[in-house]
Amino acid sequence: MIELADTVTIIVIALYLLLMIGIGIWASRKIKNTEDYLVAGRSLGFWVFVLLMIGTVCSGMSLLGVSGLGYRAGWPTIWEQIFVPLAIGFCVIFFGVKLHNVAKTAGYVTVQDYLAHRYESPTALRSLSAVAGIIVSLIYLVGQYTAIALVLMWLFAIPLWLALLIATLVTMIYTTIGGLYAVAWASLIQSIILVVGVFVMAPVIIYKAGGLTHVDQVLAGINPNLVMPWNPSGAFAPVYIFSFAIMLMVGLACAPHVINNVLAIKDVKYFKWAPLAAFLIYGAAMFLLKFTGFAGLVMVKGGVFALPNLPNAPDSIILYGIQYSLPVMALWAVFAVIVLAAVMSTTDRLMLTIGAMCSWDLYKKILRPGASDKSVLLLSKIIVVLSALGTMILAINPPVMLASLIWMGIGIMLSTFAVPLLAGLYWRGATKAGALASMLIGLVTSLVFGALNYFSIVLFGYNFAKIPVHFSFYPLVISLVVMYVVSMLTAKTHEKILDETQTGWFISKQ
Amino acid sequence: MFGLPDITIIAVGGVVIIVIIALVYWGLTFRGHD
Repeated sequence: MIELADTVTIIVIALYLLLMIGIGIWASRKIKNTEDYLVAGRSLGFWVFVLLMIGTVCSGMSLLGVSGLGYRAGWPTIWEQIFVPLAIGFCVIFFGVKLHNVAKTAGYVTVQDYLAHRYESPTALRSLSAVAGIIVSLIYLVGQYTAIALVLMWLFAIPLWLALLIATLVTMIYTTIGGLYAVAWASLIQSIILVVGVFVMAPVIIYKAGGLTHVDQVLAGINPNLVMPWNPSGAFAPVYIFSFAIMLMVGLACAPHVINNVLAIKDVKYFKWAPLAAFLIYGAAMFLLKFTGFAGLVMVKGGVFALPNLPNAPDSIILYGIQYSLPVMALWAVFAVIVLAAVMSTTDRLMLTIGAMCSWDLYKKILRPGASDKSVLLLSKIIVVLSALGTMILAINPPVMLASLIWMGIGIMLSTFAVPLLAGLYWRGATKAGALASMLIGLVTSLVFGALNYFSIVLFGYNFAKIPVHFSFYPLVISLVVMYVVSMLTAKTHEKILDETQTGWFISKQ
Repeated sequence: MFGLPDITIIAVGGVVIIVIIALVYWGLTFRGHD
Protein backbone atom coordinates (compact mmCIF):
# COMPACT_ATOMS: atom_id res chain seq x y z
CA MET A 1 0.00 0.00 0.00
CA ILE A 2 1.24 3.48 -0.78
CA GLU A 3 1.49 5.41 2.46
CA LEU A 4 -0.02 8.75 1.60
CA ALA A 5 -1.78 9.92 4.72
CA ASP A 6 0.75 12.61 5.60
CA THR A 7 -0.09 16.18 6.54
CA VAL A 8 0.26 17.60 3.02
CA THR A 9 -2.07 14.95 1.63
CA ILE A 10 -4.68 15.60 4.27
CA ILE A 11 -4.50 19.37 3.67
CA VAL A 12 -4.80 19.00 -0.13
CA ILE A 13 -7.73 16.57 0.11
CA ALA A 14 -9.44 18.61 2.86
CA LEU A 15 -9.19 21.82 0.81
CA TYR A 16 -10.77 20.11 -2.17
CA LEU A 17 -13.60 18.62 -0.11
CA LEU A 18 -14.27 21.96 1.62
CA LEU A 19 -14.40 23.67 -1.77
CA MET A 20 -17.07 21.20 -2.90
CA ILE A 21 -19.17 21.78 0.24
CA GLY A 22 -18.71 25.54 -0.24
CA ILE A 23 -20.13 25.22 -3.76
CA GLY A 24 -23.10 23.33 -2.30
CA ILE A 25 -23.80 26.07 0.26
CA TRP A 26 -23.48 28.80 -2.38
CA ALA A 27 -25.75 26.90 -4.78
CA SER A 28 -28.38 26.19 -2.11
CA ARG A 29 -29.20 29.94 -2.02
CA LYS A 30 -30.34 29.73 -5.64
CA ILE A 31 -32.84 26.91 -4.98
CA LYS A 32 -36.38 28.30 -4.87
CA ASN A 33 -38.33 25.34 -6.32
CA THR A 34 -38.01 21.83 -7.75
CA GLU A 35 -37.14 23.12 -11.22
CA ASP A 36 -34.21 25.06 -9.76
CA TYR A 37 -33.09 21.96 -7.90
CA LEU A 38 -33.37 19.41 -10.72
CA VAL A 39 -32.56 21.44 -13.86
CA ALA A 40 -30.71 24.43 -12.35
CA GLY A 41 -33.50 26.80 -13.45
CA ARG A 42 -32.46 26.05 -17.10
CA SER A 43 -29.65 28.53 -16.69
CA LEU A 44 -26.40 26.74 -17.58
CA GLY A 45 -23.96 28.64 -19.81
CA PHE A 46 -21.66 27.19 -22.48
CA TRP A 47 -18.62 26.19 -20.43
CA VAL A 48 -20.58 25.08 -17.37
CA PHE A 49 -22.62 22.82 -19.66
CA VAL A 50 -19.61 21.45 -21.60
CA LEU A 51 -17.69 20.68 -18.42
CA LEU A 52 -20.82 19.26 -16.74
CA MET A 53 -21.17 16.85 -19.68
CA ILE A 54 -17.48 15.90 -19.50
CA GLY A 55 -17.70 15.46 -15.72
CA THR A 56 -20.85 13.35 -16.03
CA VAL A 57 -19.45 11.06 -18.74
CA CYS A 58 -15.93 10.89 -17.28
CA SER A 59 -16.20 8.51 -14.36
CA GLY A 60 -13.71 7.06 -11.91
CA MET A 61 -12.99 4.29 -14.37
CA SER A 62 -11.97 6.84 -16.99
CA LEU A 63 -8.80 7.34 -15.00
CA LEU A 64 -8.13 3.78 -13.90
CA GLY A 65 -9.93 1.57 -16.41
CA VAL A 66 -8.74 3.40 -19.54
CA SER A 67 -5.05 3.09 -18.71
CA GLY A 68 -5.69 -0.42 -17.31
CA LEU A 69 -7.28 -1.52 -20.59
CA GLY A 70 -4.41 0.06 -22.55
CA TYR A 71 -1.99 -1.94 -20.39
CA ARG A 72 -3.88 -5.17 -21.04
CA ALA A 73 -4.63 -4.94 -24.75
CA GLY A 74 -2.77 -2.00 -26.41
CA TRP A 75 -3.89 0.03 -29.42
CA PRO A 76 -6.93 -2.11 -30.42
CA THR A 77 -8.70 -0.56 -27.41
CA ILE A 78 -8.05 3.04 -28.54
CA TRP A 79 -11.57 3.29 -30.05
CA GLU A 80 -12.89 3.74 -26.52
CA GLN A 81 -11.08 7.11 -26.53
CA ILE A 82 -12.93 8.24 -29.64
CA PHE A 83 -16.45 7.01 -28.96
CA VAL A 84 -16.80 7.93 -25.27
CA PRO A 85 -16.04 11.64 -25.96
CA LEU A 86 -18.25 11.42 -29.05
CA ALA A 87 -21.16 10.31 -26.82
CA ILE A 88 -21.44 13.95 -25.68
CA GLY A 89 -21.79 15.15 -29.27
CA PHE A 90 -24.28 12.39 -30.08
CA CYS A 91 -26.36 13.32 -27.03
CA VAL A 92 -26.37 17.03 -27.87
CA ILE A 93 -27.06 16.65 -31.60
CA PHE A 94 -29.51 13.76 -31.75
CA PHE A 95 -31.29 14.19 -28.40
CA GLY A 96 -30.41 17.61 -27.03
CA VAL A 97 -31.64 20.02 -29.70
CA LYS A 98 -35.17 18.63 -29.91
CA LEU A 99 -35.54 17.83 -26.22
CA HIS A 100 -34.36 21.28 -25.18
CA ASN A 101 -36.69 23.03 -27.62
CA VAL A 102 -39.74 21.04 -26.57
CA ALA A 103 -38.77 21.08 -22.87
CA LYS A 104 -38.75 24.87 -22.77
CA THR A 105 -42.42 25.09 -23.67
CA ALA A 106 -43.60 21.79 -22.14
CA GLY A 107 -41.63 22.29 -18.90
CA TYR A 108 -39.85 18.93 -18.84
CA VAL A 109 -37.73 18.28 -15.77
CA THR A 110 -36.63 14.74 -16.67
CA VAL A 111 -36.43 12.76 -19.90
CA GLN A 112 -39.36 10.70 -18.56
CA ASP A 113 -41.50 13.84 -18.97
CA TYR A 114 -40.71 13.71 -22.69
CA LEU A 115 -41.48 9.98 -23.00
CA ALA A 116 -44.79 10.40 -21.15
CA HIS A 117 -45.77 13.33 -23.43
CA ARG A 118 -44.59 11.90 -26.76
CA TYR A 119 -46.12 8.45 -26.23
CA GLU A 120 -49.25 9.71 -24.44
CA SER A 121 -48.42 7.48 -21.50
CA PRO A 122 -48.44 9.52 -18.29
CA THR A 123 -48.34 6.44 -16.06
CA ALA A 124 -47.15 3.21 -17.70
CA LEU A 125 -44.18 4.41 -19.75
CA ARG A 126 -43.19 7.02 -17.18
CA SER A 127 -43.14 4.38 -14.42
CA LEU A 128 -41.30 1.81 -16.52
CA SER A 129 -38.67 4.27 -17.73
CA ALA A 130 -38.19 5.72 -14.23
CA VAL A 131 -37.80 2.27 -12.66
CA ALA A 132 -35.46 1.16 -15.48
CA GLY A 133 -33.52 4.42 -15.06
CA ILE A 134 -33.19 3.86 -11.32
CA ILE A 135 -31.96 0.26 -11.84
CA VAL A 136 -29.29 1.17 -14.40
CA SER A 137 -28.25 4.27 -12.43
CA LEU A 138 -27.78 2.15 -9.29
CA ILE A 139 -25.67 -0.43 -11.18
CA TYR A 140 -23.59 2.41 -12.56
CA LEU A 141 -23.40 4.12 -9.17
CA VAL A 142 -22.12 0.96 -7.47
CA GLY A 143 -19.45 0.80 -10.19
CA GLN A 144 -18.41 4.37 -9.38
CA TYR A 145 -18.20 3.79 -5.64
CA THR A 146 -16.25 0.61 -6.34
CA ALA A 147 -13.78 2.68 -8.36
CA ILE A 148 -13.35 5.12 -5.52
CA ALA A 149 -12.95 2.20 -3.09
CA LEU A 150 -10.18 0.64 -5.20
CA VAL A 151 -8.30 3.92 -5.42
CA LEU A 152 -8.66 4.80 -1.76
CA MET A 153 -7.49 1.34 -0.76
CA TRP A 154 -4.27 2.03 -2.63
CA LEU A 155 -3.75 5.63 -1.69
CA PHE A 156 -4.58 5.90 1.99
CA ALA A 157 -3.43 4.38 5.21
CA ILE A 158 -6.84 5.07 6.78
CA PRO A 159 -9.41 2.25 6.72
CA LEU A 160 -11.39 1.87 3.53
CA TRP A 161 -14.76 2.41 5.20
CA LEU A 162 -13.60 5.74 6.63
CA ALA A 163 -12.20 7.04 3.35
CA LEU A 164 -15.33 5.89 1.55
CA LEU A 165 -17.54 7.52 4.18
CA ILE A 166 -15.74 10.88 3.88
CA ALA A 167 -15.97 10.94 0.06
CA THR A 168 -19.63 9.85 0.11
CA LEU A 169 -20.67 12.32 2.79
CA VAL A 170 -19.07 15.27 1.00
CA THR A 171 -20.68 14.37 -2.35
CA MET A 172 -23.98 13.76 -0.61
CA ILE A 173 -23.89 17.08 1.28
CA TYR A 174 -23.26 19.34 -1.69
CA THR A 175 -25.63 17.42 -3.98
CA THR A 176 -28.42 17.36 -1.40
CA ILE A 177 -28.31 21.03 -0.53
CA GLY A 178 -27.36 22.50 -3.91
CA GLY A 179 -29.09 20.24 -6.49
CA LEU A 180 -28.06 20.61 -10.12
CA TYR A 181 -26.65 24.11 -9.52
CA ALA A 182 -24.12 22.57 -7.12
CA VAL A 183 -23.53 19.51 -9.32
CA ALA A 184 -22.92 21.69 -12.39
CA TRP A 185 -20.57 24.15 -10.70
CA ALA A 186 -18.77 21.36 -8.82
CA SER A 187 -18.36 19.57 -12.17
CA LEU A 188 -16.88 22.73 -13.65
CA ILE A 189 -14.15 22.69 -10.99
CA GLN A 190 -13.82 18.90 -11.05
CA SER A 191 -13.49 18.70 -14.83
CA ILE A 192 -10.85 21.44 -14.87
CA ILE A 193 -8.89 19.59 -12.15
CA LEU A 194 -9.30 16.35 -14.08
CA VAL A 195 -8.29 17.65 -17.51
CA VAL A 196 -5.40 19.82 -16.28
CA GLY A 197 -4.20 17.01 -14.00
CA VAL A 198 -4.16 14.49 -16.85
CA PHE A 199 -2.49 16.97 -19.25
CA VAL A 200 0.29 17.59 -16.71
CA MET A 201 0.84 14.10 -15.27
CA ALA A 202 0.33 11.77 -18.26
CA PRO A 203 3.10 13.30 -20.46
CA VAL A 204 5.57 12.90 -17.58
CA ILE A 205 4.79 9.18 -17.30
CA ILE A 206 5.05 8.72 -21.09
CA TYR A 207 8.33 10.69 -21.11
CA LYS A 208 9.74 8.53 -18.29
CA ALA A 209 8.93 5.42 -20.35
CA GLY A 210 11.03 6.82 -23.24
CA GLY A 211 8.43 8.77 -25.23
CA LEU A 212 5.47 7.57 -27.28
CA THR A 213 7.51 6.36 -30.30
CA HIS A 214 9.76 4.26 -28.07
CA VAL A 215 6.75 2.93 -26.17
CA ASP A 216 5.06 1.84 -29.43
CA GLN A 217 8.26 0.19 -30.67
CA VAL A 218 8.54 -1.81 -27.44
CA LEU A 219 4.84 -2.76 -27.62
CA ALA A 220 5.37 -4.05 -31.18
CA GLY A 221 8.30 -6.13 -29.91
CA ILE A 222 6.17 -7.67 -27.13
CA ASN A 223 3.30 -8.53 -29.48
CA PRO A 224 2.70 -7.00 -32.94
CA ASN A 225 -1.07 -6.99 -32.30
CA LEU A 226 -0.57 -4.43 -29.51
CA VAL A 227 0.13 -1.70 -32.09
CA MET A 228 -2.54 -2.71 -34.59
CA PRO A 229 -5.87 -0.87 -34.77
CA TRP A 230 -7.82 -4.08 -34.09
CA ASN A 231 -7.31 -7.70 -33.10
CA PRO A 232 -7.61 -10.44 -35.74
CA SER A 233 -10.43 -12.15 -33.76
CA GLY A 234 -12.33 -12.11 -30.46
CA ALA A 235 -12.54 -8.96 -28.32
CA PHE A 236 -11.56 -5.79 -30.21
CA ALA A 237 -11.78 -7.48 -33.61
CA PRO A 238 -13.52 -5.15 -36.15
CA VAL A 239 -17.05 -6.50 -35.57
CA TYR A 240 -16.64 -6.22 -31.79
CA ILE A 241 -15.30 -2.67 -32.13
CA PHE A 242 -18.39 -1.72 -34.17
CA SER A 243 -20.76 -2.95 -31.43
CA PHE A 244 -18.51 -1.46 -28.73
CA ALA A 245 -18.57 1.93 -30.46
CA ILE A 246 -22.40 1.93 -30.61
CA MET A 247 -22.61 0.83 -26.97
CA LEU A 248 -20.34 3.63 -25.76
CA MET A 249 -21.53 6.44 -28.01
CA VAL A 250 -25.29 5.82 -28.01
CA GLY A 251 -25.52 4.07 -24.62
CA LEU A 252 -23.83 6.88 -22.74
CA ALA A 253 -25.72 9.52 -24.74
CA CYS A 254 -29.11 8.15 -23.66
CA ALA A 255 -28.11 7.36 -20.07
CA PRO A 256 -30.56 9.19 -17.78
CA HIS A 257 -27.84 11.06 -15.86
CA VAL A 258 -26.29 12.32 -19.13
CA ILE A 259 -29.35 13.13 -21.24
CA ASN A 260 -31.08 15.08 -18.45
CA ASN A 261 -28.25 17.66 -18.66
CA VAL A 262 -29.55 18.92 -22.02
CA LEU A 263 -32.71 20.14 -20.28
CA ALA A 264 -30.67 22.53 -18.12
CA ILE A 265 -28.88 24.62 -20.76
CA LYS A 266 -29.80 28.30 -20.96
CA ASP A 267 -29.85 28.73 -24.72
CA VAL A 268 -29.95 26.18 -27.55
CA LYS A 269 -27.26 28.16 -29.40
CA TYR A 270 -24.72 26.64 -26.96
CA PHE A 271 -25.32 23.31 -28.71
CA LYS A 272 -23.52 24.73 -31.75
CA TRP A 273 -19.95 24.21 -30.57
CA ALA A 274 -20.45 22.11 -27.41
CA PRO A 275 -19.97 18.77 -29.27
CA LEU A 276 -16.62 19.86 -30.77
CA ALA A 277 -15.35 21.48 -27.55
CA ALA A 278 -16.23 18.40 -25.48
CA PHE A 279 -14.72 16.01 -28.03
CA LEU A 280 -11.43 17.87 -28.30
CA ILE A 281 -10.93 18.45 -24.57
CA TYR A 282 -12.12 15.11 -23.30
CA GLY A 283 -10.73 13.15 -26.26
CA ALA A 284 -7.23 14.56 -25.74
CA ALA A 285 -7.34 13.68 -22.03
CA MET A 286 -8.60 10.16 -22.79
CA PHE A 287 -5.87 9.53 -25.40
CA LEU A 288 -3.23 10.62 -22.89
CA LEU A 289 -4.69 8.28 -20.26
CA LYS A 290 -4.56 5.37 -22.68
CA PHE A 291 -0.95 6.19 -23.53
CA THR A 292 -0.07 6.03 -19.81
CA GLY A 293 -1.34 2.42 -19.86
CA PHE A 294 0.97 1.65 -22.82
CA ALA A 295 3.86 3.38 -21.02
CA GLY A 296 3.11 1.41 -17.85
CA LEU A 297 3.32 -1.89 -19.75
CA VAL A 298 6.69 -0.89 -21.20
CA MET A 299 7.99 0.02 -17.72
CA VAL A 300 6.73 -3.23 -16.19
CA LYS A 301 8.23 -5.30 -19.02
CA GLY A 302 11.48 -3.33 -18.62
CA GLY A 303 11.60 -4.23 -14.93
CA VAL A 304 11.23 -0.60 -13.76
CA PHE A 305 8.50 -1.64 -11.32
CA ALA A 306 6.20 -4.61 -10.85
CA LEU A 307 2.46 -4.88 -10.42
CA PRO A 308 1.08 -6.99 -7.56
CA ASN A 309 -0.29 -10.40 -8.49
CA LEU A 310 -3.97 -9.40 -8.22
CA PRO A 311 -6.83 -9.85 -10.75
CA ASN A 312 -7.49 -6.11 -11.06
CA ALA A 313 -3.85 -4.97 -10.72
CA PRO A 314 -3.69 -3.49 -14.30
CA ASP A 315 -6.35 -0.96 -13.25
CA SER A 316 -3.75 0.44 -10.84
CA ILE A 317 -1.10 0.93 -13.55
CA ILE A 318 -1.49 4.72 -13.57
CA LEU A 319 -0.95 4.80 -9.80
CA TYR A 320 2.33 2.93 -10.15
CA GLY A 321 3.29 5.09 -13.12
CA ILE A 322 2.80 8.24 -11.04
CA GLN A 323 4.58 6.72 -8.05
CA TYR A 324 7.64 6.04 -10.23
CA SER A 325 7.56 9.09 -12.51
CA LEU A 326 6.59 11.75 -9.97
CA PRO A 327 8.28 10.73 -6.71
CA VAL A 328 6.84 13.66 -4.76
CA MET A 329 4.22 12.74 -2.18
CA ALA A 330 2.34 16.03 -2.52
CA LEU A 331 1.76 15.26 -6.23
CA TRP A 332 0.25 11.91 -5.33
CA ALA A 333 -2.19 13.80 -3.13
CA VAL A 334 -3.03 15.99 -6.12
CA PHE A 335 -3.62 12.83 -8.14
CA ALA A 336 -5.89 11.54 -5.37
CA VAL A 337 -7.90 14.75 -5.78
CA ILE A 338 -8.05 14.17 -9.54
CA VAL A 339 -9.47 10.68 -8.98
CA LEU A 340 -11.92 12.00 -6.39
CA ALA A 341 -12.98 14.69 -8.87
CA ALA A 342 -13.57 12.10 -11.61
CA VAL A 343 -15.61 9.83 -9.38
CA MET A 344 -17.58 12.57 -7.61
CA SER A 345 -18.47 14.39 -10.83
CA THR A 346 -20.34 11.27 -11.98
CA THR A 347 -21.75 10.06 -8.65
CA ASP A 348 -23.30 13.44 -7.80
CA ARG A 349 -25.15 13.53 -11.13
CA LEU A 350 -26.28 9.92 -10.75
CA MET A 351 -27.62 10.52 -7.23
CA LEU A 352 -29.49 13.62 -8.38
CA THR A 353 -30.93 11.68 -11.34
CA ILE A 354 -32.19 8.92 -9.05
CA GLY A 355 -33.66 11.61 -6.76
CA ALA A 356 -35.41 13.22 -9.74
CA MET A 357 -36.86 9.96 -11.06
CA CYS A 358 -38.22 8.99 -7.63
CA SER A 359 -39.56 12.36 -6.50
CA TRP A 360 -40.67 13.86 -9.82
CA ASP A 361 -41.60 10.92 -12.06
CA LEU A 362 -42.89 8.41 -9.54
CA TYR A 363 -44.13 10.60 -6.65
CA LYS A 364 -45.26 13.89 -8.19
CA LYS A 365 -46.42 12.63 -11.60
CA ILE A 366 -47.92 9.27 -10.61
CA LEU A 367 -48.46 8.66 -6.89
CA ARG A 368 -49.34 12.17 -5.62
CA PRO A 369 -50.12 14.55 -8.51
CA GLY A 370 -51.34 17.14 -6.00
CA ALA A 371 -48.12 17.08 -3.97
CA SER A 372 -46.73 20.48 -3.07
CA ASP A 373 -43.47 21.68 -4.62
CA LYS A 374 -41.96 21.78 -1.14
CA SER A 375 -42.70 18.09 -0.47
CA VAL A 376 -41.29 17.05 -3.89
CA LEU A 377 -38.13 19.02 -3.17
CA LEU A 378 -37.81 17.43 0.26
CA LEU A 379 -38.33 13.93 -1.17
CA SER A 380 -35.64 14.59 -3.83
CA LYS A 381 -33.19 15.41 -1.08
CA ILE A 382 -34.13 12.35 0.99
CA ILE A 383 -33.68 10.06 -2.05
CA VAL A 384 -30.27 11.59 -2.81
CA VAL A 385 -29.18 10.79 0.76
CA LEU A 386 -30.60 7.25 0.65
CA SER A 387 -29.05 6.43 -2.75
CA ALA A 388 -25.66 7.69 -1.56
CA LEU A 389 -25.70 5.70 1.67
CA GLY A 390 -27.14 2.55 0.05
CA THR A 391 -24.59 2.33 -2.75
CA MET A 392 -21.76 3.22 -0.37
CA ILE A 393 -22.62 0.15 1.71
CA LEU A 394 -22.57 -2.01 -1.43
CA ALA A 395 -19.17 -0.61 -2.40
CA ILE A 396 -17.57 -1.58 0.92
CA ASN A 397 -17.14 -5.04 -0.61
CA PRO A 398 -16.19 -4.06 -4.17
CA PRO A 399 -16.71 -6.62 -6.95
CA VAL A 400 -13.82 -7.53 -9.24
CA MET A 401 -13.95 -6.82 -12.99
CA LEU A 402 -14.93 -3.21 -12.47
CA ALA A 403 -14.71 -2.21 -16.15
CA SER A 404 -17.10 -5.02 -17.06
CA LEU A 405 -19.59 -3.85 -14.42
CA ILE A 406 -19.57 -0.28 -15.75
CA TRP A 407 -19.78 -1.39 -19.39
CA MET A 408 -22.67 -3.62 -18.35
CA GLY A 409 -24.43 -0.57 -16.90
CA ILE A 410 -23.92 1.36 -20.14
CA GLY A 411 -25.02 -1.65 -22.22
CA ILE A 412 -28.27 -1.92 -20.25
CA MET A 413 -28.88 1.83 -20.66
CA LEU A 414 -28.38 1.41 -24.44
CA SER A 415 -30.76 -1.54 -24.75
CA THR A 416 -33.45 0.07 -22.59
CA PHE A 417 -33.55 3.73 -23.67
CA ALA A 418 -31.97 4.11 -27.14
CA VAL A 419 -34.82 2.74 -29.25
CA PRO A 420 -37.79 4.43 -27.46
CA LEU A 421 -35.93 7.76 -27.46
CA LEU A 422 -34.62 7.72 -31.03
CA ALA A 423 -37.86 6.29 -32.45
CA GLY A 424 -39.87 8.80 -30.41
CA LEU A 425 -37.88 11.77 -31.69
CA TYR A 426 -37.51 10.76 -35.35
CA TRP A 427 -40.28 8.31 -36.34
CA ARG A 428 -43.90 9.47 -36.31
CA GLY A 429 -45.01 5.84 -36.57
CA ALA A 430 -43.62 4.89 -33.14
CA THR A 431 -46.50 4.14 -30.76
CA LYS A 432 -47.06 3.92 -27.02
CA ALA A 433 -47.34 0.11 -27.14
CA GLY A 434 -44.18 -0.08 -29.26
CA ALA A 435 -42.27 2.08 -26.78
CA LEU A 436 -43.47 0.09 -23.76
CA ALA A 437 -42.67 -3.24 -25.40
CA SER A 438 -39.25 -2.20 -26.74
CA MET A 439 -38.22 -0.66 -23.40
CA LEU A 440 -39.37 -3.63 -21.31
CA ILE A 441 -37.92 -6.25 -23.65
CA GLY A 442 -34.71 -4.22 -24.07
CA LEU A 443 -34.28 -4.06 -20.28
CA VAL A 444 -35.05 -7.73 -19.64
CA THR A 445 -33.00 -9.15 -22.54
CA SER A 446 -30.03 -6.92 -21.69
CA LEU A 447 -30.09 -8.17 -18.08
CA VAL A 448 -30.26 -11.77 -19.39
CA PHE A 449 -27.52 -11.34 -22.02
CA GLY A 450 -25.41 -9.34 -19.55
CA ALA A 451 -25.63 -12.12 -16.96
CA LEU A 452 -24.94 -14.87 -19.54
CA ASN A 453 -21.88 -12.96 -20.73
CA TYR A 454 -20.61 -11.83 -17.30
CA PHE A 455 -20.84 -15.29 -15.73
CA SER A 456 -19.54 -17.10 -18.88
CA ILE A 457 -22.65 -19.30 -19.00
CA VAL A 458 -22.73 -22.09 -21.59
CA LEU A 459 -26.21 -22.56 -23.09
CA PHE A 460 -27.07 -24.93 -25.97
CA GLY A 461 -23.35 -25.64 -26.27
CA TYR A 462 -22.55 -21.96 -26.79
CA ASN A 463 -20.31 -20.03 -24.39
CA PHE A 464 -21.76 -16.54 -23.98
CA ALA A 465 -18.40 -15.17 -22.83
CA LYS A 466 -17.16 -15.70 -26.40
CA ILE A 467 -19.84 -13.85 -28.35
CA PRO A 468 -18.22 -11.83 -31.18
CA VAL A 469 -19.91 -8.52 -30.24
CA HIS A 470 -20.62 -6.63 -27.04
CA PHE A 471 -23.56 -8.35 -25.33
CA SER A 472 -25.73 -5.21 -25.55
CA PHE A 473 -25.85 -5.46 -29.34
CA TYR A 474 -28.35 -8.37 -29.30
CA PRO A 475 -30.91 -6.74 -26.95
CA LEU A 476 -30.56 -3.50 -28.93
CA VAL A 477 -31.50 -5.27 -32.17
CA ILE A 478 -34.34 -7.15 -30.41
CA SER A 479 -35.63 -3.86 -28.95
CA LEU A 480 -35.52 -2.27 -32.43
CA VAL A 481 -37.44 -5.11 -34.06
CA VAL A 482 -40.03 -5.11 -31.24
CA MET A 483 -40.52 -1.34 -31.59
CA TYR A 484 -41.12 -1.64 -35.35
CA VAL A 485 -43.42 -4.67 -35.28
CA VAL A 486 -45.54 -3.54 -32.30
CA SER A 487 -45.82 0.03 -33.61
CA MET A 488 -47.03 -1.23 -36.99
CA LEU A 489 -49.75 -3.27 -35.29
CA THR A 490 -51.04 -0.75 -32.72
CA ALA A 491 -52.90 2.55 -32.60
CA LYS A 492 -50.97 5.57 -33.86
CA THR A 493 -50.10 8.60 -31.74
CA HIS A 494 -52.27 11.71 -32.27
CA GLU A 495 -50.89 14.13 -34.86
CA LYS A 496 -51.28 17.03 -32.40
CA ILE A 497 -48.90 15.32 -29.94
CA LEU A 498 -46.43 14.48 -32.71
CA ASP A 499 -46.39 18.15 -33.74
CA GLU A 500 -46.05 19.38 -30.16
CA THR A 501 -43.08 17.08 -29.58
CA GLN A 502 -41.51 18.04 -32.93
CA THR A 503 -41.45 14.40 -34.04
CA GLY A 504 -40.03 13.74 -37.48
CA TRP A 505 -37.00 13.03 -39.60
CA PHE A 506 -35.16 16.25 -38.76
CA ILE A 507 -32.93 17.53 -35.96
CA SER A 508 -34.16 21.10 -35.84
CA LYS A 509 -36.91 23.02 -37.63
CA GLN A 510 -35.03 26.11 -38.84
CA MET B 1 5.09 7.54 -37.44
CA PHE B 2 5.14 7.24 -33.61
CA GLY B 3 6.48 3.70 -34.04
CA LEU B 4 3.10 2.55 -35.36
CA PRO B 5 2.21 0.62 -38.55
CA ASP B 6 0.62 2.70 -41.32
CA ILE B 7 -2.71 0.89 -40.92
CA THR B 8 -3.02 2.11 -37.31
CA ILE B 9 -2.19 5.71 -38.22
CA ILE B 10 -4.62 5.67 -41.16
CA ALA B 11 -7.48 3.94 -39.31
CA VAL B 12 -7.31 5.79 -35.99
CA GLY B 13 -6.17 9.13 -37.45
CA GLY B 14 -8.73 8.87 -40.24
CA VAL B 15 -11.65 8.31 -37.86
CA VAL B 16 -10.51 11.15 -35.57
CA ILE B 17 -10.26 13.55 -38.53
CA ILE B 18 -13.66 12.50 -39.90
CA VAL B 19 -15.24 13.03 -36.46
CA ILE B 20 -13.66 16.49 -36.09
CA ILE B 21 -14.76 17.50 -39.62
CA ALA B 22 -18.30 16.31 -38.86
CA LEU B 23 -18.45 18.27 -35.59
CA VAL B 24 -17.01 21.42 -37.25
CA TYR B 25 -19.64 21.05 -39.99
CA TRP B 26 -22.33 20.75 -37.32
CA GLY B 27 -21.03 23.89 -35.61
CA LEU B 28 -20.97 25.87 -38.86
CA THR B 29 -24.40 24.81 -40.07
CA PHE B 30 -26.50 24.58 -36.87
CA ARG B 31 -28.71 27.65 -36.60
CA GLY B 32 -30.47 26.86 -33.37
CA HIS B 33 -32.30 29.64 -31.57
CA ASP B 34 -34.77 29.83 -28.70
